[in-house]
Amino acid sequence: MTTSSLRTKHWSRLEYERLVDLGAFRPGERIELLGGALLVREPQGGPYATAVGLVEDALREAFGAGWTVRGQMPIALDDDSEPEPDIAVVPGRRRDYTRGHPAHPVLLVEVADSSLELDRTEKASLYARAGVADYWIVNLVDNILEVYRDPRADPHAPHGWRYGSTTTLRIGEVVAPLALPDRTIPVADLLL
Amino acid sequence: MTRATLRAKRWTRLEYERLIDLGAFRSGDQVELLGGNLMVCEPQGTPHMTGIRMAEEVLRRVFATGWEVRTQAPVALDDESEPEPDVVVAPGSFRDYRHAHPARPVLLVEVAEASLESDREHKGSVYARAQVPEYWIINLVDNVLEVYRDPIVDSTAPFGWRYGSISRLGAGDFVGPMAAGQVRVAVADLLPSQLP
Repeated sequence: MTTSSLRTKHWSRLEYERLVDLGAFRPGERIELLGGALLVREPQGGPYATAVGLVEDALREAFGAGWTVRGQMPIALDDDSEPEPDIAVVPGRRRDYTRGHPAHPVLLVEVADSSLELDRTEKASLYARAGVADYWIVNLVDNILEVYRDPRADPHAPHGWRYGSTTTLRIGEVVAPLALPDRTIPVADLLL
Repeated sequence: MTRATLRAKRWTRLEYERLIDLGAFRSGDQVELLGGNLMVCEPQGTPHMTGIRMAEEVLRRVFATGWEVRTQAPVALDDESEPEPDVVVAPGSFRDYRHAHPARPVLLVEVAEASLESDREHKGSVYARAQVPEYWIINLVDNVLEVYRDPIVDSTAPFGWRYGSISRLGAGDFVGPMAAGQVRVAVADLLPSQLP
């Protein structure tokens, strides 16, 4: 009489990768594994797609050789998460990840319009739990950049972790990735 | 700006059956598809198993020739549901279901202990939506048989339908399965607590 005997299936990352290999998903279905739950992303509009491209361009230029900037590609985040952040910056070259998705991004970026709350709570908690040191939300609702750093445990957060530091940057200001503090990027380059 | 951009993955029954064929589930992970959601059933104890066996014995006797009685077997309920009820009564024989699971059961039975709430709320709503005419819960918590009939629309139910008629029958009562004509079954024969 202690628990309900029926619960939503919880997938491990390895099970999920096996599903992908088996071709279990519909073509074009953008799936992410977040904390054991399989989630589908709804198609996004033009402003969103443009912003993702702008961020990709800016980060590629800022990071240069020795880093790979990946757009909407899987990250082997932890044992029950394989998200596809809008942009991920990972060490090394593209070919380094032929046999396995990158597991240790130095920067993750989400472009948010209707997904803003989810990106701030659910995803931020998951990324903080995985020890991602630098997480940015390109907030298209308020036209600002939100920078999240300093992951720390917090039992009230959805996945038990959150970011301790949140900075809001506006057009006219600059941002520097934590991994490359001397490479500044104008916030205006990341916003529409 | 109108809605969340991330939603839980919903599976169709055909996708789910393909997952099974692909061997996507580890043995031991007992899964069911309910309204597009992939659910895992926790392992059950001996009273549950006893309840299933009692219902099976009774229903095999009542539904003899011309009926298929199977236990914990998949039902192709609708486009996004493939549950595995504890006992299924379907027309025909096992030969009729060589190539596809039964889709039109006349009676489904769940034996409920820890699962009582989800059997009443979630499964009851999914079964009512699929027009299963009769649904029994052998309620091990209160030692009663709950008989659900008359599926009706209800927008507040998890899947938009529920059963309009609910009877709670005790060990001294009798129940007549709708599809079995005049036959009456002693409820005591379905309750493990009534075993000598």
